[in-house]
Amino acid sequence: MESKKNRYVLTGLTIFCVLLIGVTSVNDQWLTPLRTGVGYILIPIQTGVNKLGVSIYQELSDYGRLKGAVEENRRLQAEIDRLVEENNRLSAEQFELARLRELYGLDQEYMQYEKTAARVIANDSGDWFQVFRVDKGSADGVKVGSNVLAGGGLAGIVTDVGAHYATVRSIIDDSSRVSAMAVQSGETCIVAGDLTLYKDGRLRITNIKKGGDIKEGDRIITSNISSRFQPGILVGYAVDISVDSNQLTSSGYLIPAAKFNNLQEVLIITDVKEDGDFAGE
Amino acid sequence: MKRTLINLLLMIAAFTIQNCVFPLIPFLSASPNLLLILTFSFGFMKGQRAGMLYGVLAGVLLDLFYSGPFGFYTLFYVYVGFVNGICTKYYYEEYITLPLVLSVLNELAYNLYVYVFRFLIRGRLNIFYYFRELVIPETIFTVVTTLFIYRLLLYINRRLTEFENRRDTTIV
Repeated sequence: MESKKNRYVLTGLTIFCVLLIGVTSVNDQWLTPLRTGVGYILIPIQTGVNKLGVSIYQELSDYGRLKGAVEENRRLQAEIDRLVEENNRLSAEQFELARLRELYGLDQEYMQYEKTAARVIANDSGDWFQVFRVDKGSADGVKVGSNVLAGGGLAGIVTDVGAHYATVRSIIDDSSRVSAMAVQSGETCIVAGDLTLYKDGRLRITNIKKGGDIKEGDRIITSNISSRFQPGILVGYAVDISVDSNQLTSSGYLIPAAKFNNLQEVLIITDVKEDGDFAGE
Repeated sequence: MKRTLINLLLMIAAFTIQNCVFPLIPFLSASPNLLLILTFSFGFMKGQRAGMLYGVLAGVLLDLFYSGPFGFYTLFYVYVGFVNGICTKYYYEEYITLPLVLSVLNELAYNLYVYVFRFLIRGRLNIFYYFRELVIPETIFTVVTTLFIYRLLLYINRRLTEFENRRDTTIV
């Protein structure tokens, strides 16, 4: 009798879950209040545990680093000298660029987006997906589709947002697709995450037209035609480009500019590219 | 009541540790699936009904964390609770072999489920790579962790039973 009752419960739950999967695959907007509600309880716990973990970890590693710090300091001083020199040269070129831009009437400016800094509070511990959660949400202007930067490069995109948290899918996730282009030639391509390349720290570059001008070491940035990514964000550098066996397209690999192991702070662009069309990527 | 509350807290603690602490440990190439261990242990120790209850709980927590279709994990975890609940008739305290075997089977089933519905569906056919690089390390970690977690759960269970018995006698 008892086991029969259990079977009814199981059947009921199964139907409920399948229905829920079906409904939410089409539209999961109505879940936002629920997610936000649970977030009010879970996020403080996650933030607290994360802070504790980070501080212990840093305490330990700080001590280890102290020994190398003197040597590093000297090296960095030399680096600063070099950079100051380079900065002088670049700022001179910046003036020239501004003048030329004016000349050409280019009003389009890259990288002038509104950003907000956020702390990574939770990671997926399993290896199947590369998603993480940050402690800023819709209350701070983060929206679904906001681009996320880390270490000077594109890190991912917000897929789900609550009042005080947001879930980010990184570009190294197996299902991530970024429409990109090479800086020098403007040749477009797709940068795709691939779980089998993840351990080598690489992503895949595909859909380069045959004869397309992308070479080893080219800087790859998000393209103007992307429907979800703001244009002009550095994604990484191209390597090992070769022609595909179908002789129509080329493909290769990309070394991302953002470092994904031990991500702790990220920048979120609060301007969202509003095309309304999420297809194509 | 008290038992449910403690188990609920254990579940949330496991979820938090899994997502906030394990990723910080740099030398851990794979990490044990604590929620899976808890769900199947509860099912195994307490029967199908309890297994399904904690399955729903673990599944909902995971579904809230990931932003895919809602219910994907809940569906699987409910079944974990139910199927392991069947084995509850072989449950007695000092018997550790069966839980370890169950932990391997559950871990394999879980990874197969994720692979088929999230990767195979998109044409990722390289199953041996995923098996070698992801599934085997995670399974090993999970089995080792099961050894400890299962003992901990037994201990908590024993203390709670003692507590309940004592309360019963004072009422009488």
